Amino acid sequence: MKMECRDFEEQLDDWLDGQLDAARQASIREHLELCQGCRRRREHAFVVQSALRVLAPPALRAGFANQALSRATGRSGAVAYRRAAISAALAATLVLGVAVSAFFATRPAPVQTVALALDRPETVSLVFTVAKPLEGAMLNLALPENVELVGYGGRRELSWSTDLHEGGNLLRLPLIARGTSKDELVARVSHGASSKTFRLRIEVQGASRLGT
Amino acid sequence: MRPQVEYLYRLAWRFTGSVADAEDLVQDLLLKLYPRTAELYEIEQLRPWLARVLYRQFVDSVRQQARSPITVIADDRSDGENALDAFPAAKDGPEDRAERSAWRERILAALQQLNPEQRAVVAMHDIEGYSLEELETILATPLGTLKSRLHRARQRLRALLPMEPFSAAERVKA
Repeated sequence: MKMECRDFEEQLDDWLDGQLDAARQASIREHLELCQGCRRRREHAFVVQSALRVLAPPALRAGFANQALSRATGRSGAVAYRRAAISAALAATLVLGVAVSAFFATRPAPVQTVALALDRPETVSLVFTVAKPLEGAMLNLALPENVELVGYGGRRELSWSTDLHEGGNLLRLPLIARGTSKDELVARVSHGASSKTFRLRIEVQGASRLGT
Repeated sequence: MRPQVEYLYRLAWRFTGSVADAEDLVQDLLLKLYPRTAELYEIEQLRPWLARVLYRQFVDSVRQQARSPITVIADDRSDGENALDAFPAAKDGPEDRAERSAWRERILAALQQLNPEQRAVVAMHDIEGYSLEELETILATPLGTLKSRLHRARQRLRALLPMEPFSAAERVKA
């Protein structure tokens, strides 16, 4: 039976993993000779798989093994380590809890400040708290000068469509500061005709102080 | 345990995408395992066993941290005809190095969009090279579930990585 594009897509992963028998491999080869779209899909899949395979972690920090083993064996302060780690995480985390009544209020949310280290990725977490589910909410993000969302290079504005669940909704933004900036990060959540805007002042440690 | 620390860190980094989180995960694991040191000597295949314990620790920690995460949908601006025209080529000028760095960041960001279980199966199968049959034991998850989890994860990664940031530059060069 002649292979369709849908069949190819369904079998692509098994093919990548070498899990197809000879007959199905032959069907795929035959289909690829005729279908430019699926040849592109195959190349795309190869590139993504290859990129994953060569993705190397940053080198293990010198002394980490000794430090971690010492803490594990109780030769140094394991509890202190955890506390320090949690504090560091909180320092980079800005939590915006907004009840649904405030979500639609005209009064702007207060501007809050978050500190980023220069040229070091930091995750800033925003928590949107809503009292009822909001399907198809739009999230618009406007980044200030010299602040990037990791993986999106120089893009200053991004938009997502998302569903907000009842309760807290966590959005983690991996940010990296490339220099000083005078503007604020602006996150706007809208649903229907209503919207709520959050502004973050960003202080860059290692660069001149930001914001007014 | 010392010879295993680097392996655990590497795997933890692949799970978490963050050096600090990876170090935390490894530290927590070592704290948990130290009282069981004698038991570890009895384990024949130590690395798969450690991978399993690390995976459980990772999933537990993610669930504790984020009970209601938003599923962020990436802004896919690619068009079907041109998205594949511009895969990063093997060049080595400053611009090319910057492109590769941006590409790496995009991959890391895309991995962060997967749920913890998807990220783990991609990390262990597509990156670390464990077979799905091995993962069936390590992750204590049925083979069918692993296959569908991997399939969905790969589909999501491909959707998130259309490589469109490179296409404009490549088209200009062409």
